[in-house]
Amino acid sequence: MINLLVSGVLILMVVSGCGWNGNPTRNDYVTPLTAIKIAAASSNLAVNTTTTLTATGNFSGLFARDVTSQVVWSSTSPDVAAFMTSASPNRVTGIKAGTAILVATVGSVSSTYTLTVRSDSVTSITISPTTSSLPKGLTLQYSATGHFSDNTTQDLTADATWASSALAVATVGNAAGNKGFVTAVTAGDTNITATFGVVTATQPLTVTVPVLQSIAVLPANPSRLTLSTVPFTATGTYSDASTVDLTSQVAWNSSNTAVASFSSATATTATQGTTTISAALSGITGSTTLKATGGNLASITVNPYVVTLVKDTVSRITATGTFSDGSIRDITGVVSWSPADTSIATVLMPGGNLAWLQALVAGQTVISASSGSVTPATVTLTVTAPSVSSIAIVPTTLDLTVGTGSRFVVTGYFSDGTSQDVTASCDWSSDNLAAATVSKTGSTIGRVSGVAASPAQVTISAKYGGLTATAQVTVNARTLKDLAISGSTAVNAGNQIKFTATATYSDSSTVDVTESTLWAIDSPNVAILADIQNQLGQVVAVDKGTATLTASFNGIVKTATITVN
Amino acid sequence: MNRICQIIIVGCLPLILCAPAGAQHVGPYAGAFVGGSSLADARGSDDKGDVRLTFDPGFAGSAVLGWDFEAGNPVGEGRVELEYTRRSNPLKKVEFVEGSRAGGGSVTADSLLLNAFGVFHDSGRWAPYVGGGLGAARVEATDMKASGQPFVSGSAIVFAYQLGIGVDVALTEHLNLDLGYRFFGSIAPNFTEVGGRKLAVDYFSHNVVLGLRVGF
Repeated sequence: MINLLVSGVLILMVVSGCGWNGNPTRNDYVTPLTAIKIAAASSNLAVNTTTTLTATGNFSGLFARDVTSQVVWSSTSPDVAAFMTSASPNRVTGIKAGTAILVATVGSVSSTYTLTVRSDSVTSITISPTTSSLPKGLTLQYSATGHFSDNTTQDLTADATWASSALAVATVGNAAGNKGFVTAVTAGDTNITATFGVVTATQPLTVTVPVLQSIAVLPANPSRLTLSTVPFTATGTYSDASTVDLTSQVAWNSSNTAVASFSSATATTATQGTTTISAALSGITGSTTLKATGGNLASITVNPYVVTLVKDTVSRITATGTFSDGSIRDITGVVSWSPADTSIATVLMPGGNLAWLQALVAGQTVISASSGSVTPATVTLTVTAPSVSSIAIVPTTLDLTVGTGSRFVVTGYFSDGTSQDVTASCDWSSDNLAAATVSKTGSTIGRVSGVAASPAQVTISAKYGGLTATAQVTVNARTLKDLAISGSTAVNAGNQIKFTATATYSDSSTVDVTESTLWAIDSPNVAILADIQNQLGQVVAVDKGTATLTASFNGIVKTATITVN
Repeated sequence: MNRICQIIIVGCLPLILCAPAGAQHVGPYAGAFVGGSSLADARGSDDKGDVRLTFDPGFAGSAVLGWDFEAGNPVGEGRVELEYTRRSNPLKKVEFVEGSRAGGGSVTADSLLLNAFGVFHDSGRWAPYVGGGLGAARVEATDMKASGQPFVSGSAIVFAYQLGIGVDVALTEHLNLDLGYRFFGSIAPNFTEVGGRKLAVDYFSHNVVLGLRVGF
């Protein structure tokens, strides 16, 4: 019984929505036309001039509709007034002085209009507007008004003969439907004339340089994380359809500076929210909306926060931000690093999320990492100056597959009994660059890459403090069989996640090739690569949606769909 | 009170006098139904746009031939039947962009469906059922007018379907009273406008029917 009730309710729910509730879009073609009303621009014409008629149909008193295009026009006195223009069937021409009955017929319904033709002659013509300049690419509609001997006036735009003295400067239409329509072609001077009979009016016209018509701001409607930079461009379109990069010329503005502010054409986001980005020049403005996501910075942590370094060595430091929406991501490249004593240490910022703490002279100092009004995080640094006793490299031997890489670590042992990772402070070299190379700078310093198979071992050397440590690398060619991506594909906006790429070879061996893979992502409004140089495989979620992460390694391409909540 | 409500109430009155039947019928049966049909507001579409057609309620009449399954059948308790139904609804008005026009004429659907119903028997006198049917219908626009002028005409055979719920009352072992609701729909049939254009018109109707089924 319950099943029946449920089934019945479901049926009723489904069918209760049936029945069209849209709006009609079809005109009534059934209700009969019962009357026609004729209107004209003028009920009397001078000889050899014209006027147009319009016909409005009354459909059984229920509605009215323009039926001009359906009307068959005729004149009871075609020697007085006649419909002579096939391209404009509703235009009547005055032939000779007198009265004519004009007839509009649609099917069996007719209506009449009385037209008077007078014999007065044109004494002068006035062209309007009196605009004397027009930017290149723009258009203007002139009209001609005839002044008659009986002191009346009549629109002669469609009856005059129009001409431009310099067609290369500006053209003017002289055909039915476009009479008096001027197009500015190129900078220069011309005279626009309207002639009726023997009477001519002249309007000088100067075509000027093209004027700015619109500005397009790109990227359009971007979503970006807080504490990130967004470079914008402005492209102006001119009246002649030409486009110009105006990025450095426009005045950039953010309507909500708490969300983002500008330095030149680059906006820096601060707090979560939206702001209107505008670019203005010469009274023309283009705009777009920038959405800052990922919460507001709540706290900063640094790693390491206590460090001892030997003089003239470097160590990598990172800053991680925790945001108001609970998201966590690397902000190393965003914070301001400030050593209290710059003679003891400095912070090197090669770019991206890479920061090196460089120990200069013995002593102790504090380095703060700050951003806005958030409490800075600090690194307490002690710089010592022992002499190096020995250095050791790990691993000492390495079996490397062509196309992949691996990192070495060099540890220095000092006269004061301490030891320190000095990998980033070594001078690295390979004795066979054709087989294997070793990175000498950046976050990959000390990483060896297999270039080509070599029967002989390659010697990788790391020099520090006058000492040298070496490792032997064998580079082998293996047949790549597959590539796999792993990592969390569902993430909340503002968080940073790691993906790894693992290559499988024909001998069933697997290698982490995350740092040898080319990573790409297709929707920057949804997710971005954290740092394509220093944090390979890491993705930061920006805003709700889905994005496709692509990993390409030695001809194999794999994708993963990332969903940002 | 509208006509359909009156029909439902009159049709239900005999139920008060009926006594519950004993054994359940198994085997062939035939039946006849009458009822009301309410055609939902329909969209009529041609290449120039859409109009709305509104219909008045009308009558529906059916004849069925079917088979009652026995209780405990592995297929399930219920019945299958072949149903012929005729529904007719007058056109009340046609709405264009410019407004509504008085309608005229009617639309009639003759349908042939194969139905299957699941019946829920218990010890009580009532046996509710639910089910549906598939088949075809010939839908005809008869002398349809707008503003007193010829509007559309023609007919089409289209795929049709229905959903139904209702209740059986076993008057005797071989005689059942059936009160049901049917939602009937079809693929939009194409009619011909007075100017020659084709007009596709939605067809969805709500039906309340009362009938008798006699088992053999």
